[in-house]
Amino acid sequence: MNSIVMKQDASTAIRELLAYLLSSSRVDAVLTMRQVPETGSCDLGLITDPSGMVEAEPFLPVMTANAGQALSSISMSGKRIAAVLKPCELRGFTERVKREQGSFDNLLTISSICGGVFPLEKVISGDLEKLVPRYIEKTARAEAPRGLRETCKACEEFVPMNADISVSVTEHGSLMHLHSDRAEEYTEGFEGERIEARADQSHIDRMMKSRSAAKGKLFQSLEKSSGLDGLVDLFGKCVGCHGCSRVCPICYCQHCDFESINFDYNQPYFQESLEARGALRLPPDTILFQLGRLTHMSFSCVGCGMCSDVCPVSIPVAGIFKKTGERTAGLFDYVPGRDSEEPIPVMVFKEEELGDIG
Amino acid sequence: MAAVLPVGSDLSGAMNRFLKTILEKDIVDAVLMPMKVPSGDSFAWIIMSDSSIVDDAEAMAPVMPVQGARALRSLTRKGEGSIRVLALMRPCEIRAAIELSKLGQVKTENLILAAYDCPGAVPMDSFVSDPSSGEDLFRKMLAGEDVSAGEVKPSCTSCVEFSMTDADLHFGHFGLGGTEVLLIPGSPKGMEILEALELPADRETSIWDEAVRKRREKQVASRDAAFEETGENIRGVQGMLNVFADCISCRNCRAACPICYCRLCHFESETAKQDPNSRLDSAVTRGGISLPADRMLFHTGRMTHMSLSCVSCGQCSDACPADIPVAQVFSFVADRTQKAFEYSAGRNDGDPLPLRSFMKSELSGIHEMVSDAEPGGHAHE
Ligand code: SF4
Ligand code: SF4
Ligand code: SF4
Ligand code: SF4
Repeated sequence: MNSIVMKQDASTAIRELLAYLLSSSRVDAVLTMRQVPETGSCDLGLITDPSGMVEAEPFLPVMTANAGQALSSISMSGKRIAAVLKPCELRGFTERVKREQGSFDNLLTISSICGGVFPLEKVISGDLEKLVPRYIEKTARAEAPRGLRETCKACEEFVPMNADISVSVTEHGSLMHLHSDRAEEYTEGFEGERIEARADQSHIDRMMKSRSAAKGKLFQSLEKSSGLDGLVDLFGKCVGCHGCSRVCPICYCQHCDFESINFDYNQPYFQESLEARGALRLPPDTILFQLGRLTHMSFSCVGCGMCSDVCPVSIPVAGIFKKTGERTAGLFDYVPGRDSEEPIPVMVFKEEELGDIG
Repeated sequence: MAAVLPVGSDLSGAMNRFLKTILEKDIVDAVLMPMKVPSGDSFAWIIMSDSSIVDDAEAMAPVMPVQGARALRSLTRKGEGSIRVLALMRPCEIRAAIELSKLGQVKTENLILAAYDCPGAVPMDSFVSDPSSGEDLFRKMLAGEDVSAGEVKPSCTSCVEFSMTDADLHFGHFGLGGTEVLLIPGSPKGMEILEALELPADRETSIWDEAVRKRREKQVASRDAAFEETGENIRGVQGMLNVFADCISCRNCRAACPICYCRLCHFESETAKQDPNSRLDSAVTRGGISLPADRMLFHTGRMTHMSLSCVSCGQCSDACPADIPVAQVFSFVADRTQKAFEYSAGRNDGDPLPLRSFMKSELSGIHEMVSDAEPGGHAHE
């Protein structure tokens, strides 16, 4: 595969590429993580002025919002955008495209072999400054940095699945791999030695080993979530804020069914239930919301970990959704976000499934 | 004057017994109070008609995972039932319930609101990570022992409405050494309960009054200090931007707020969203924008929508994953907006919501504006 050798560190090289794309008018805007140098505050920036690239930190191991979600509506503006996405953000975006919530038409996607991100609390507490240098060292050696999001430690989909450009950083250097015609076209004229190369497989294998082990452990620890009793135990303290669904790249409904009028008590039903059971929880349907979300979207869960990060009562939401999702998606041999052409399992049916109905 | 409830060994237990009795005697049909969740690290609102279940409940919970008024709202927003419910909640929860009743979300006809002297609450994140220390801490708070301010919810350390609110019945225990609780009726409904139990309200309350007064003095001082600090922090547009710099737009603050009752928040609706093209245009104009967009618009917008009813309960801060002092900012602004309208959120004194009521005299200016705008120069009478 055609690849560009990056002489500087990956962040600098991609920053230069993004500035090049903007100043050569190949794209109208760039989506990337930024960090304000003075305050350390991080956000996702949609940058149009090349001079704004100084704040860009394309590979900052932080996810303030799943960029796939943030990109969703602006990708349909018709303007050309280059977006730097983590693999799970790209997969989240792909799932949204399948739901007609985004478009690849005018998009150049840039991703990288991902070392994971730190939980928001580490970002807020200002620990980043210490953590990032160590993170860069460790990930270059295919070692797992400490303190990452639980689902990042356990993520086996850390190699981007369908990016135009992917970046690999190993001890032997950094490469930009060009996967599509669009990638070739957009990088034309961008300085850097072209070589024929793939991402170092032994590096990937070493990462995979620790990820798989961590995933085994994570799923093991969530075994108690199986069955209704387990779910009641885990979600019993849920306060019903629905933050988990608002930050989820897959949950795109503007008005969630579980926030609709259907889920407040009407009095006759309430009084009947109270009489029958002697006691009821208010607000109602705490567990039903979780079950509903599990059935509505878990087969598309990309394990990004946003939901766990915003949960005010520290429920390991992402682990539960990833685990359940993999089990359901596995039944259909479905990998969320693998390919935008791959249909969503529950939205297709095969003719033979209709036999009984006919 | 008040009736007296002997305590025995445990304050919360005595209140439990009281609630059990009024259920057993059919004075009310159901009681709403907190109960520990199965995993033991939080509490949930349970409405119970079966008096034996009250034994498992906890009259005063160390934490406030869900604002009580939110729980009530889910019960009555679609219409009031015929059963009589007593809800035992913290004072800020009672006040939020009263605001929601003015907003038509909580129906109070068959509702008896009962409150207690609130020593503050333990922040959710610290309780969840270590429930047993949280319970110990709360026991100390209830006993009136000194605890470090950092361990308590920030809004609680500057709360000046921790005692008598406009509840129907109030459980006063401050200054009484944990040996008895005063049952103070706040309305005919509350009085009726005492009468039904044949509890005469004949005790004078000066010791308790004095304890409440002393505590209020301390709380007022810490509130003033907190306001001063917040006022400094949010000065000017840049101040607000700095305070909310780490906001990730999860809207947990809105979801946790008892007053924000809209099923579909205006700021999450299609109306408030810029279409993708103009979004990119504004990025071009400014050289770049931050995503998710319109975070400040959301906060200032929410503020204008609800700050007159903010009861300073602190739920918004507690739910914020980015540790933003949302409640401190909202309380600070609420204090000023409510003063401007001579309104105090959560009072049941017949004061209507300022923006829901207008006086004829306030319309005279409009009349002139309309008549100026009319082509013929005369307004319709
Ligand atoms: S974020 Fe946590 S508390 Fe809020 S609804 Fe989701 S699981 Fe429940
Ligand atoms: S359920 Fe949680 S982990 Fe899965 S995609 Fe949504 S936010 Fe990410
Ligand atoms: S804005 Fe915050 S402090 Fe005010 S009522 Fe709402 S949740 Fe409570
Ligand atoms: S809870 Fe915090 S991060 Fe979420 S929208 Fe409110 S202020 Fe922003």
